[in-house]
Amino acid sequence: MRSFLRPRVLVAALATLTLAGCGFSGTQTQAVQPTAVADTSQRIVVDNFRAPVANWAVESDAAYILSLSGCLETLTTFNQAEGKVLPSLATEWKQTSPLDWDFSIRQGVKFQDGKDLTAESVVSALNHVLDAKVPARAFNRTMISSITAVDAQTVRVSTPAENPLVPYRLASVNTGILAPAAYKPEGLDPFGHCTGPFTPVSEKAKQSLTLDRNENYWGGEVQLAGAEIRFITNGATRAAQVQTGEADISLSIPVASLAALKAADGVSVLGADSPRTATMYMNNGRAPLDNVDIRKAIREALDLDALAASVYEGAALPATGPFAPSEPWAGDKQDQQVQDLEEARKLLAGAGYTADRPLEIIAIVERAEFADVAAVVQENLKTIGIPVTITSKEYASAEPDVLAGNYDMLLSQRNRLIDIADPIGFLTADYTCKGTYNLSHFCDPEYDRIIAEAAKTLDTGERYKLYAAAGQILQDQAVNAWLVNEQATDATRTNVLGYVQDPLSRYVLTAKTAKAAS
Amino acid sequence: MLQFITKRTATLVAAVLVSSFAVFLIPYFTPGDPVRKIIRSRVAGDAIDDSAVQGLSESLGLDDPLAVQYFRWLADFFSGDMGLSFVSRTPVAEQVLPALSVTLSLVLMSLGLAAALSLPLGIISGLRPGSTADKAITAITQALIAMPEYWVAPVLVLVFALKLSILPTAGWNDLSSAVLPALTLALRPISFFTSAVRAGIIDAAAAEHVPAARARGLSQGQAILRHVVPNGLVPLSTLFAVWFAGLLGGSVIVEVIFAVPGMGRLLFDAVVNSDIPLAQGGVVVVVALAVGVTTLADFVHRFLSRTVGGTLA
Repeated sequence: MRSFLRPRVLVAALATLTLAGCGFSGTQTQAVQPTAVADTSQRIVVDNFRAPVANWAVESDAAYILSLSGCLETLTTFNQAEGKVLPSLATEWKQTSPLDWDFSIRQGVKFQDGKDLTAESVVSALNHVLDAKVPARAFNRTMISSITAVDAQTVRVSTPAENPLVPYRLASVNTGILAPAAYKPEGLDPFGHCTGPFTPVSEKAKQSLTLDRNENYWGGEVQLAGAEIRFITNGATRAAQVQTGEADISLSIPVASLAALKAADGVSVLGADSPRTATMYMNNGRAPLDNVDIRKAIREALDLDALAASVYEGAALPATGPFAPSEPWAGDKQDQQVQDLEEARKLLAGAGYTADRPLEIIAIVERAEFADVAAVVQENLKTIGIPVTITSKEYASAEPDVLAGNYDMLLSQRNRLIDIADPIGFLTADYTCKGTYNLSHFCDPEYDRIIAEAAKTLDTGERYKLYAAAGQILQDQAVNAWLVNEQATDATRTNVLGYVQDPLSRYVLTAKTAKAAS
Repeated sequence: MLQFITKRTATLVAAVLVSSFAVFLIPYFTPGDPVRKIIRSRVAGDAIDDSAVQGLSESLGLDDPLAVQYFRWLADFFSGDMGLSFVSRTPVAEQVLPALSVTLSLVLMSLGLAAALSLPLGIISGLRPGSTADKAITAITQALIAMPEYWVAPVLVLVFALKLSILPTAGWNDLSSAVLPALTLALRPISFFTSAVRAGIIDAAAAEHVPAARARGLSQGQAILRHVVPNGLVPLSTLFAVWFAGLLGGSVIVEVIFAVPGMGRLLFDAVVNSDIPLAQGGVVVVVALAVGVTTLADFVHRFLSRTVGGTLA
């Protein structure tokens, strides 16, 4: 038996920075000081958790950095609070045929190099993304067949099959529009080629990106003189920098640093549901977990409250199913799983379970906490007579066996909205019979039918109902054990004004982001 | 001398070949598909389309036989081209050289600091072995060995950045931002350097020529300065080179914690992401530099030995 809380060397060491703290804010919008006034001569420092690795290729995750820094803009944006796709570089859009969507390009917008934003420049930019050798998840040739300019102000996006989610796809940061001069043979050059409120002026490789205010921004007066985006991959360092005031905004604060930041003067801690659920994947295609009652017994045996309180130190909430309760497609039946050992034992007995061999849980090492989660699950399952062994592996080394169905259980987590602000990609890849990432080896024709219908449903409300129905099937079949919903946590200095937290860190600096004189 | 240079050149070529081949094989002999690792380094997320894997594999030449891939790299390398990074598609040299310059600065600062502190400590300790000062210095320097960098670094941040607010927590901007990473890296060398200097001083002080020098009319201080202290420098030169070579690519933890864009992080990321050309280019540069520095240290060691020996004679 492993110890309940195995020493996590690096995390424990970094936790020496941790001090005492108070409660979680639970808000997405930073509390504004009533007397604070924006000082437009101020510059801001943002600590980001990732560095660009792909030479600013817009189809890569570097697009997130260009977007959060207020440089890169897309035809549409997704407003998390409203749960809606909103206009950005496109003012309106409509489905003109089952396979075509027309987007009206905003007039009067200039790139930072002075060139006009036109339908042609948009077509050129989007085709660049489609032609990438490593295509973007959200926008590639499997779902987009062509991009054409209908006239000087209209861009047509055509799809190989009816696709109601094209406006969502064009909110993906990977579909950001840059001036034609940005696309060079040696790579993408975003400097002076964006449309956003900030223009990048210099870069320190692997360290930071410096931006100045775009004086000609189409979206109104920019409240900051400039910004520096620092690439700080170590979470404790990001936390320390916002605590000392070296950074004004630090993204993705680790659990170990929360208490210190909540206790610190001049710092606000913001939290929001993230679209990530820590999940214990179960192999539905191999005995004994091909038996739904055994899977249900495992689910009933888990003490999720204890898990959230201990391993996650309260910074994650017990899961209620495959979705976070706050997601609009979560459905009405969002009861929290309560440990019921009696019921678990009954289910096991009914299924004729015999502990012929211990079941293996693979805990991926990329998430340090999963070793502790595995230890808790091991203890829970032991109480109902299921012996469990734990193996720690890099995800890359576990993946071939998991995809081939040679495993029992795997602790991992997925971002449901990693491509677009709609879970269709996740629900298709992870749970349909032909899903490309169906780790659970689950297959249910009724589930597939619902997802296929959802993929064609234009009405957002109706589509969400279908997702809820699909989620209910996953829940009824106990396909996996969903453990905790993770929280996205950012920290800001209290003199930062107008900061609205985005759990996916796509939008951080906007024209409205401001700073009061300190 | 010629024989020495020839031998060292052969060592250098052999080291480059062996290290570049070993690094080249890492992605193929560690679990997981190298192409998927490259893709994941560009776009986070687990689900990867098989057609993307196939397309990238072809475009990078990763479906060629391993021997073809390696000799292609080798031919390019010896014609002065380190190739393009698989992940960023930018020239490897453009990434390696800036990172190397950062690491060289950091390592030289660390070892300079270590030498500056350990020399007086080792001399004090070695001149009075068994004294209270010697015991205290030995205890402290031995304790430094046991302090891992991932513990020392956050403690230094806590004290100097968070509590005293006199140094930045991280970054690589000016001299002040280099202090904490350099100090963290210096702690263990201080311990080893001090031990070596102490041992050299004790040996030299016990040698017959010190009383002989006193008999020739030199004061105790003059005898120590002329005949004892130089002996402390001899082992230091070798240790300096060994630590220099080790820290060139081995300061990953410090570079991550302090957000220093050096070689350690570059090489670590390259290996994790299966960025074979970047890893090969980086390792080869580090190995070549390490061989060069140890060769130089040998020269210095010989020179000091002769000089000191001459003095002693």
